[in-house]
Amino acid sequence: MRSLWIGLLLAPAVIVMTAFVLFPLLSAFRYAFYEFNGLKPSHFVGLANFRQVLLEHPFSDNTYRALWHNIIVFIALMVFENGTAFLIAFALLKALPGHRIHQVIIFLPVVLSAVIVGFLWKLFLHPLFGLVNNALALVHISGRAWLGDESTALGSIIFANIWSWIGFPTLVLLAGMQRVGKELLEAARLDGAGDFSLLTRIIWPLMAPSVTIVCVLTFIGSFNWFELPYIMSGVDGSPGGSTDVLGLYFYRTAFGSETSGIQNFGQGSALAVLMFIAVAGTTAVALRYLRRREIEV
Amino acid sequence: MKKTAGLAILGATLIWGFAAGAARATTISFWTWRQEDRAAYTEIFKDFTKLHPDITVKFEAFPDESYPTIVSTALAGGRGGDVIHVHAYGWLEQFIKAGYFLKLDKTTVPSLGNLPSDALLSGSYRADGQVYAMPFASQTLGLLINKDVFAKAGLQPPKTWDELLTVSKALKEKRITPLANGLGTSWFNEMFVAVFTNPFLGPDFVHDLTTGKTTFKDPRYIAALSKLLELRSYMPDGYEGVDDETSGQLFLSGRAAMLADGSFDIADFKTQNPQLNMDFIAPPAPKAGDPGYVTKFYDGGYAVNAASPQKAAALTLVNYMGTPAFGDKLVSLLGDISPIKGVTISDPLLAKVAALNATAMPQIDLVYFRFQSPTGSELLQTNITKMMAGSITPAQLGADVTAGVAKWYTPFQGK
Amino acid sequence: MSNRHEGIKNSGIQILLLFNAFVMLYPLLVMVTSSFKTNVELFSSPFSLPRSFALTNIATVWTDTNFVRYLANSLSVTVASILLILLFGTMAAYAIARYQFRASGLFLMFFISGMTVPLKLAIIPLFIELDRLHLVDNLAGLVLVYVAMGLPSAVFIMTGFLRSLPKELEEAARMDRASELRIMLSIMLPLARPAMVIVAIQNAVPIWNDFFFPLIFISSDNLKTLPQGLTVFMGEFVTNWGVLFTGLTLAALPITLLYVVLSKHFIAGITQGAAK
Repeated sequence: MRSLWIGLLLAPAVIVMTAFVLFPLLSAFRYAFYEFNGLKPSHFVGLANFRQVLLEHPFSDNTYRALWHNIIVFIALMVFENGTAFLIAFALLKALPGHRIHQVIIFLPVVLSAVIVGFLWKLFLHPLFGLVNNALALVHISGRAWLGDESTALGSIIFANIWSWIGFPTLVLLAGMQRVGKELLEAARLDGAGDFSLLTRIIWPLMAPSVTIVCVLTFIGSFNWFELPYIMSGVDGSPGGSTDVLGLYFYRTAFGSETSGIQNFGQGSALAVLMFIAVAGTTAVALRYLRRREIEV
Repeated sequence: MKKTAGLAILGATLIWGFAAGAARATTISFWTWRQEDRAAYTEIFKDFTKLHPDITVKFEAFPDESYPTIVSTALAGGRGGDVIHVHAYGWLEQFIKAGYFLKLDKTTVPSLGNLPSDALLSGSYRADGQVYAMPFASQTLGLLINKDVFAKAGLQPPKTWDELLTVSKALKEKRITPLANGLGTSWFNEMFVAVFTNPFLGPDFVHDLTTGKTTFKDPRYIAALSKLLELRSYMPDGYEGVDDETSGQLFLSGRAAMLADGSFDIADFKTQNPQLNMDFIAPPAPKAGDPGYVTKFYDGGYAVNAASPQKAAALTLVNYMGTPAFGDKLVSLLGDISPIKGVTISDPLLAKVAALNATAMPQIDLVYFRFQSPTGSELLQTNITKMMAGSITPAQLGADVTAGVAKWYTPFQGK
Repeated sequence: MSNRHEGIKNSGIQILLLFNAFVMLYPLLVMVTSSFKTNVELFSSPFSLPRSFALTNIATVWTDTNFVRYLANSLSVTVASILLILLFGTMAAYAIARYQFRASGLFLMFFISGMTVPLKLAIIPLFIELDRLHLVDNLAGLVLVYVAMGLPSAVFIMTGFLRSLPKELEEAARMDRASELRIMLSIMLPLARPAMVIVAIQNAVPIWNDFFFPLIFISSDNLKTLPQGLTVFMGEFVTNWGVLFTGLTLAALPITLLYVVLSKHFIAGITQGAAK
């Protein structure tokens, strides 16, 4: 009886996922082991596609460069996006006058599409007409081609990402903080606890589930990062591949770039399989650790 | 009695004829990434329906960056437009290899005879030498000149490399950006390289390269690339990040005097700034008296979906797309240069471009090295920004492109 | 002394929040004003107010596209997808979070792994599958794909929240012989409202804004979604940035308005646990 009930609860989700994610993905994964002749698989080549993307120049250069950029994106989003979100959430927790309107405002860009965010920031960061350079000129700092300079392009896209998405972790973390409960916070305050010890001793440990959600979603999001760099720097990760990430490299390999490359679906599939193994594996390990932390509390 | 029967038969024949006409009336779809050409194609298809009242054509455009994915998915699923606009060379070939397009020949598409052989090559499959796409326009890469800016500065457009440098220096002193090009858009980089290196390379180099006699490590290629470094100080501030759109705006607004660009932008520039006094010239030659080769390639073509339920109608349309009537419209409505014999080009600037095509070089990486990955184009596009930024030398670029292409291009292997 | 200290600190926080609000809002203002500008204006004075608030750009978008139809399609696809994601996702998460059974961890990993692969890879097999089910050029097909894409994060977020609810309530109800269904519907799920709101908004945004899947799966004009319809339309104006920004603003407007109108409930929903 009980297992029937559990089965009923799980069935719809499992069926939809199997039919429209698992099944098509497995069919595509199969192609990782095939050499492609044009757009159709021609013959089985074992692990050759994997070897190419992992070990053979120039493919492997792209793979590791892209992976490295994904790692940078993950670290930057953890520190700057989630760190700032945490501070803003804590500021909003104090319920100062106007905190409700701030909650609305900070979430506003989250509803915008990556296309809009990308377009806006491309215009803002424009080397000649852009707001950023014009503002810097006012204080006599010479601007630069933010998206065209290899040293600043990735950072600029990460910044646009933070701008558009920071509302999400802020509200999730705020929800977590508020679950701690006013009574507990007031009791601690009466005991003479300052903001800092309140944060480290009471709020942080008790909001563990929200932190888990934010960290895991950031990790997965960083390694599947695609839309914003695609719109802001193109499928080639311009300039000079300095904004190339695994999502772009996979897409470009599998579907080609009409202005430079052609489709290599076998190699693209191999990349996707590797991404899947790495990201799902790491997530499983991380979840185990994060969950343990939740239980200890 | 007999008369009535005759009338009845006549009437029946007429009705049958109409009914058959109605039954044969078909609608076919045309897929393209050229969303901005909707108005022109709508007019062209109206002309076509006047000639073939039983066929109407539906124009369906897709965003160009998603176009390859959309087309390959639809074709893999046995769907897609009846006539499909395709890019030329390697892009087309991957679809041909999968068997997605119909072979065209002079029995089904007689108008193929109106096209020169180098145009047909862009729509052909290297393995069988057959044509699978009706070529639609040639594009020419050269130097766009803002004549007013030159006149105001009291300068003449450059004919040789040395003149380019002196003219640029003079323009810069007058606070005019000499060359509007930037490196922010990777496909535009490749064109920039082609424009300025091709006059130094010449047809002999292309011959040696494509017959396996030499590679991109050839001293001629390295020397041509090294020339590009001399242009850096005459490009816009922050040129590494200036994209094609910005380059165009700089040129249009008169803030820059020259732009290495393709003939495909001429029509658009004219609509954006009708007052613009613009000229299209051959890129600077190595020295006076040498030919200043422009770069010429074919943009793409029109292919028939092998899974189309209306192949006959689709072939009729593709055949029409090889006739001078169509070519004339392509020229007058879109400002493209049609390779179809018998097409008249009345616009003086376009006519000049067409004349420059007599001394043309191919866009090497597109025409010969964009068939398998890694393509020559992607290798060049990635490396050229590095070279211009000084982090690699022209020789390193040549070696890396050669090594990359050698993965699949057997004549380069072991060299 | 301590109060004064607190006051200074609070004003500091207020100033930072105001600065943050400016950074968040200003770009949106630029987007809206840009849609009233001509190309020349946009490039010469991109950040000033437009010279006129003429509605020509908006009129172009309005008359040349099937705007209302696209809007209705987008709304129905988004609403249907979100409802199904919430329904199926909550059911599955409830089973994983509230019952001890051996495969629960495995099921959770099954769902989470669905988030870790780019589904674009599977676009060709997916297209062929939907075609066989007669779901190509059909809004229901689009909804099913979005539901499948949204379930992983929905199950993940819901499981996290449901797990953290106290066991006592549930056990007390079991003592009273309440059925499992009643415990779920009337005791546990009302407590999970914040998570449901997060799941809804987290999925609504990408589904509403997506144009990739509609471009591949939908070809009839009267079935197109708003971002798809506008993407194709805007392509005709590649060089007219004013029209481009109008299109972008119009595409963003419905969901932005919806969010602002519902934000009170949304914020209240997320932070509902506060008092408890």
